[in-house]
Amino acid sequence: MNYLVSGATDMGTVKKTNQDSFFANIINTEIGQVAFAVLCDGMGGLEKGELASASVVNAFNVWSKNRLPQLCTGGLNDSVISHEWTNIIVTYNEKLKQYGQKSAVRLGTTATAMLVTEQRWYIVHVGDSRAYEIYDGVRVLTKDQTLIEQEILAGRITEQQAQKDPRRSILLQCVGASDEVYPDMYFGDTIRNAVYMLCSDGFRHEITENEIYSYFRPEVMVNTDTMKMCSNELINLNKQRGEKDNISVVTIRTY
Amino acid sequence: MLEIGMLLDGKYKILSEIGRGGMSVVYMAINEKANKTWAVKEVRRDGVIDYEAVRQGLIVETDLLKKLRNPHLPSIVDVIEGEESFIIVMDYIEGRSLGKALKEYGAQPQEYVIEWAKQLCDVLGYLHSRTPPIIYRDMKPDNIMLKPDGNIMVIDFGTAREFKAKNLADTSCLGTVGYAAPEQFGGRGQTDARTDIFGLGATMHHLLTGRNPNEPPYTREPIRNINPSLSAGLEKIIEKCTQEEPINRYQSAEELMYDLEHFEEVDDRYKKKQKHKLGAFITAASLSVVLAGTGLGLNIAAGQLASSTYDELIKQAEFTDDVSRKEELYIQCINIPDKSGDITAYEGLIELYKEDDFTKEEEHKLITELIEKNMDALESNRQSFAELCFDVGELYFGSYKYYTDSEDNTSLNAFQGAKASEKWFKNAYDYSDETYENHETANAYRQVGALSNKISNSGDSDNANQKAPEEEEYRELFKNMNDLIEYASTCDDQYLELKIYDCALTAIDNYTYDFIDSDISSDQLMDMYERVKSAVTAIKPRSKYESVKAEILERCPGVKERIEYAKNAKEEA
Repeated sequence: MNYLVSGATDMGTVKKTNQDSFFANIINTEIGQVAFAVLCDGMGGLEKGELASASVVNAFNVWSKNRLPQLCTGGLNDSVISHEWTNIIVTYNEKLKQYGQKSAVRLGTTATAMLVTEQRWYIVHVGDSRAYEIYDGVRVLTKDQTLIEQEILAGRITEQQAQKDPRRSILLQCVGASDEVYPDMYFGDTIRNAVYMLCSDGFRHEITENEIYSYFRPEVMVNTDTMKMCSNELINLNKQRGEKDNISVVTIRTY
Repeated sequence: MLEIGMLLDGKYKILSEIGRGGMSVVYMAINEKANKTWAVKEVRRDGVIDYEAVRQGLIVETDLLKKLRNPHLPSIVDVIEGEESFIIVMDYIEGRSLGKALKEYGAQPQEYVIEWAKQLCDVLGYLHSRTPPIIYRDMKPDNIMLKPDGNIMVIDFGTAREFKAKNLADTSCLGTVGYAAPEQFGGRGQTDARTDIFGLGATMHHLLTGRNPNEPPYTREPIRNINPSLSAGLEKIIEKCTQEEPINRYQSAEELMYDLEHFEEVDDRYKKKQKHKLGAFITAASLSVVLAGTGLGLNIAAGQLASSTYDELIKQAEFTDDVSRKEELYIQCINIPDKSGDITAYEGLIELYKEDDFTKEEEHKLITELIEKNMDALESNRQSFAELCFDVGELYFGSYKYYTDSEDNTSLNAFQGAKASEKWFKNAYDYSDETYENHETANAYRQVGALSNKISNSGDSDNANQKAPEEEEYRELFKNMNDLIEYASTCDDQYLELKIYDCALTAIDNYTYDFIDSDISSDQLMDMYERVKSAVTAIKPRSKYESVKAEILERCPGVKERIEYAKNAKEEA
């Protein structure tokens, strides 16, 4: 399997800092090429949100460079990945929490990381960033860990009410501010000629799935230049429509 | 920096380190003169990154606590601020947090939780009654210390103002989000006493179930879904505390305290009461709107006063054991102007009269009079009026003996209860629609009553023009009787259940031939009989109903014999 990867981020129209961080790379291993990406949306006062998201992204980056090739030698499986990633998340939850206590601030970050191999893809997920699979349609692979999603599922409010509810930006958990963190894990079979995408919530509030599909469908995403361009187009569309948050998106095209 | 053995401020001898957090160290100290132990918390400038922010937080916390005096709040005796550190001398609280207890032992026993909740109500009531009121906003097991004597202390006032309305575009993640009331996220109006009620409810839920609301699945199911042995009353209390809308919660810590003290009584009556309260609220609310429209501010105040007096009297009535006092209080409630349309007090009376099984003539008269007098007010809410009529109907239905020892009187008294209740069930049916759960049952009752009246009137010489019931009507009776038997099996009033079975047996016994002539086969009658008999046998009656059950079982063989006899007669014919 071969991959193209691309990423784009924008501070947005309102905020003074960009607290989103991401990393994406193609890595050569004994089981062939694999693509790895991680995206974090930080929160907290001033520069602290960046610190949270950047340190978690960095931890995954280091893992993908040092640990992932070793794991591939021994053969990957769901439980190994799950164990390793949960470890990273739990460790950074503690580290950020301690840092926060010392500086008397609350800081934290979402974390969504994805590994795509020839056979299988793996996702670890905390918060409300998302992973998508775009093939003959748009499929959301992760479930938002937000209070509002919970309220919708419980039938206490409707999707429409949720748009206006002040709790829509409240996360159920995040890395750095939860007593205990319980990452969700997702696994699936990789599709050739598909696009896998990670994005922060700022990327998806103002645009529709149809728009995502029309820009990101595999037939369009054929080289990294186009991928970059499409990503920027959608980011701009978000800004034109009044998105206030930082906006980030990472795409992986398989072929 | 504090060190073991040193004397702080000439008074407090530092004995040992008892805790260490991210930014502070806590020591145990003794004031040797007073022979009292204290906790000394030291926050060092070089131990934290943003000292100024931490210091501000501490000043807020200590200034707040210094003003408060409550057995469940730690008192601060001294704040010593130096160049290098901020030192707080406060009550030494032995024990550990309920959060820790949960982690170690899981769900906590119900009776403890109730006791703690009462103490928390006490402290919240105290905080809320300060001027201006102090809203704690951070109730959670981690902030409650359990002392070895079983009492609790509320700690950590420094973080109490975490939940200010946030900039909505900002994502935030709050560690204690699971205990926080919806209005704490902004956009829904102010936080107030009821915000803390929510937090207390959520805390009780966690303590009782062991389910941390901040961990998957992040939901708050009714406590008995998780542990069926917990009290239904307590479940309702928690549900009420954790309502989305503040107006639907307990409005004050005192109100919650009251229910916690009586949670067992809340068990059975709650359901009914809740329904009616809502009705009353809607009436009251719409009333206020009308009055506001005409600018009669004074009347609104009077209306509110009436409501609170009413609620107060209802509460008193519910929890007194003195029967005649109870009756008196309910009647007082009904007589409050503006409140005669609220059915809560009527329901209370019915409940009370049901207790003595055979309602006295004068009790019937009183209820009837009260309802007739206030008909206009009651009718204005059709649904609640239907419910009230249904309950009066059942009171009447259950309150007569269906048969007497004297042979001659048997048929006369057979359906006395059914007959007396007819008009009430008719109202219940007419005033409600299919959305009322007892709509169809009311209909079945009404028809049984109607037919009983018809049968007895047809035999009455004064009503010679009354026709005897048609075959069709007996078929209806049979069907309705079946419906009532079905209803009886789901009904939680044991006495009424027995009475319905008794009524069914009486119907079979008295109209065996009429049924058979109306194409109800003897086998169908036998089926009904067997169904009733096994249902009665299966009932485990409360002691006062044992004799009722025994009486019914006693008549079974006679009824069976009659069906068999009729069957043989039919076959011979």
